[in-house]
Amino acid sequence: MDEKVGKFWDKYVTKKASRLYEAEKVLFEERARSLKIFYHLLGGDKAKELHITDKRFLKTSRTLLEKFSGKGKSFFLAWQDEKALYFPASLSYFDDKNLNEMHYYWLCAMLAHVNIKSNASINENKKAANFLIEKYSGFKDFHTNAEAFLLERYPELSTIKPLNEDLLDDNSYPNPLWIYPSHSSNTMLLDFDDEEEMGREDGKKDKTEELKMKKKAEQINDDKETDGLLLFLPESLMSLMEQVNVDRQENDSFDEDALYNAEDLDEITLGKKDANLASRIKMDLDISANSAEDYPLGKGHFRDEWDYKKESYLKNYVCIKPQISIYVEAIELPKRLEKMMKKIHSELDLMELDRIKIDNLPYGDELNLDTWIDYKGHKNHSNHPQRFFQSYKKKTRDMATLILADISLSTEAGITQDIRVIDMIKDSLMVFAESLQRLQDRFSIYAFSSIRNKKVNFHIIKNFKEKYSDRVRGRIDLIKPGYYTRLGAAIRESAKILEKQQSANKLLLILSDGKPNDVDRYDGRYGIEDTKKAIEEVKQKGITPFCITIDVEAKEYLPYLFGRNSYAVIRDAKKLPKVVTEIYMNLTR
Amino acid sequence: MSNTYYLAQSNEVELFEAAASMNLPILIKGPTGCGKTRFIEAMGEKLGREVYTVVCHDDLSAADLIGRHLIDENGTFWQDGPLTKAVRNGGICYLDEIIEARKDTTVVLHSLADYRRVLPIDRTGEVIEAHPDFMLVVSYNPGYQNVLKGMKPSTKQRFISLSFNYPKPEIEKEVIIKESSVNAAIAQKLVNIAGEIRRLSDSDIQEAVSTRLLIYAAKLIVKGFDPYQACMHSIVESLSDEDDVLEVLQKLISLHFTKSA
Repeated sequence: MDEKVGKFWDKYVTKKASRLYEAEKVLFEERARSLKIFYHLLGGDKAKELHITDKRFLKTSRTLLEKFSGKGKSFFLAWQDEKALYFPASLSYFDDKNLNEMHYYWLCAMLAHVNIKSNASINENKKAANFLIEKYSGFKDFHTNAEAFLLERYPELSTIKPLNEDLLDDNSYPNPLWIYPSHSSNTMLLDFDDEEEMGREDGKKDKTEELKMKKKAEQINDDKETDGLLLFLPESLMSLMEQVNVDRQENDSFDEDALYNAEDLDEITLGKKDANLASRIKMDLDISANSAEDYPLGKGHFRDEWDYKKESYLKNYVCIKPQISIYVEAIELPKRLEKMMKKIHSELDLMELDRIKIDNLPYGDELNLDTWIDYKGHKNHSNHPQRFFQSYKKKTRDMATLILADISLSTEAGITQDIRVIDMIKDSLMVFAESLQRLQDRFSIYAFSSIRNKKVNFHIIKNFKEKYSDRVRGRIDLIKPGYYTRLGAAIRESAKILEKQQSANKLLLILSDGKPNDVDRYDGRYGIEDTKKAIEEVKQKGITPFCITIDVEAKEYLPYLFGRNSYAVIRDAKKLPKVVTEIYMNLTR
Repeated sequence: MSNTYYLAQSNEVELFEAAASMNLPILIKGPTGCGKTRFIEAMGEKLGREVYTVVCHDDLSAADLIGRHLIDENGTFWQDGPLTKAVRNGGICYLDEIIEARKDTTVVLHSLADYRRVLPIDRTGEVIEAHPDFMLVVSYNPGYQNVLKGMKPSTKQRFISLSFNYPKPEIEKEVIIKESSVNAAIAQKLVNIAGEIRRLSDSDIQEAVSTRLLIYAAKLIVKGFDPYQACMHSIVESLSDEDDVLEVLQKLISLHFTKSA
């Protein structure tokens, strides 16, 4: 009973103390995609992601009621670091929904104009604000209204105006219209140096790892790809449970409950790394996969990798290990695919409507009037060849297609209880191969997975020379989920193979289930930038890249990697086998 | 003397004149609505040469370019195609969107586009030597994605290439003012909007806003339309069909031109 009364009282006082307008609240998650596009419009860095921010503690002057209720000592402020922008999960400062929505756009515009290196000083904020007011009449109206409104509602705000001190500190009442420095802006730079150095050392795991667990929301330095876990023996894993890893940078964490629970926690320990859902606990178990069946072809060779920070290639940095399964059984097309294949075949046959006309035949399907008129127009009939017919022939397309399948560990994930992603990828490969065989287009199939730069397994399923046969199907059937997705390296290797083909049209079709990632720094921006670079190289070689993915988050990064017209996101992974073929037909029509 | 308005973006006019005087063919790359066709028309007038424009499509045959026999009451006669006309009489033959034409069609250009400058016509057995004023110009938009469409390198490498893009802000502003006689302040805003939308380009919208669309917007405004409405109809709606993109573009326009209630 006591508890109930207490709760009620708490609710009442909190509500009373709140100067926000709950009814007019605008949620970030509903605006996230729009804000991202808006950020791009204003010239923001396209590789940056948008996230919600956690609470910030500030020592501010509060109203008596606020002190009483415990409100007003922590704030959700907008800020950014090198990787992302952070917005409050909801905004409700104003008594008008439109203004609150505009508030998000304003913050977004500010973030695009505030110099990230300037530590978000008051001057910098003012400069950016003035710029926006000057340029956009819409923002001018908003700012005038908002400022007046806020000053009236939050008289404390006026106290920061005459401050001489240029740096925004934690003592003054936060201005909701401003951009605040990164959580750990002073440690930030350090972190980046660390990461740089890290790359060279290539993650020496035997070094004693320190887990920085500072008081108050700070970032645990888990640059060393451990997610705070790897250094420990698996037996001691349980003892680590007190470190709650709430991943701030996880994109799919808009789960409402989680959001509000998080709001109530006083302190959240934040991991800095993007974690792929399926690989949140990453453990490199060092077991060689399928060694019984996979036969390595040579010792492997090296490819370059792009380091976006140095803006240069790391020469011969990645080791590619081509391999092929031997002792494979020849198998027929699985029964489950027969029905679909039949349907696709009939669709492919329809494509024969796409025929080309061949003129000047001595005999053929139809009379060609043009040649007849030509003949008539000729003075010397005997010199003119009497080829008046035309025929239609199926378009032979000078195509070479390389299919590159991502078979990282994440493909082990289930779609339904008995179907895994990898099963769908295998089915797709079979259906696709069958279709291309029917179209008589040249193709090859490769699959890859990686463990750091040391080993990118590049499985040959079918190369361009080999004929499509039951053995190829056997190899497809043997595909097993491997390790990680060092996409850039695999793309470069594929480009090398395609480059040698004589066909006029070359297509690199990538089947993927998620972002590029690996156990080292390849996770996150480094991997994205390397992949982007690899795609650019592919395009320069006259090869068309196209990516088909089942990652619904892919809209966030694929346009940046491949460009607007070169990717497709498939929401229902079960449709993958059918859609892959359809996409191919559309691409080459 | 020339009536067509064209404001040079950089050195393209000099380059075109030099190429014309030396009988070199020209290839122009650029996104839609950036002024490719206008440039050719203006140059045609400046050099006093007729422009024969052919818009290419995938059913375009060599006969459509060169010509064919036709029938009249006296029997058959030969009718020159646009290319042959230009080759015979002198003039600029402009093949727009050449990438859309099948590759076997564009091969007929090869002998015209190098030092030989002749056009052999198989059907009549004639070999026409190009008129000294004949000039070949082709253009295409490199933005479209289709594996099977593209230019053969052997065709591409016969041309002097000019890469067009949307004009620089100052130039674009002047073009908008000149074409629509809108006032400078609005022209500046339109240019600002365009600059922002063009940053999106390939990642969120298929193709960025063209100078042509900006001029449409300006014309609507001059006609008395509310600037916000004018931009919505001429710029925003034609760029995307996706709701979230539309929403943001709408927002952007409303930031520049406050929506009148």
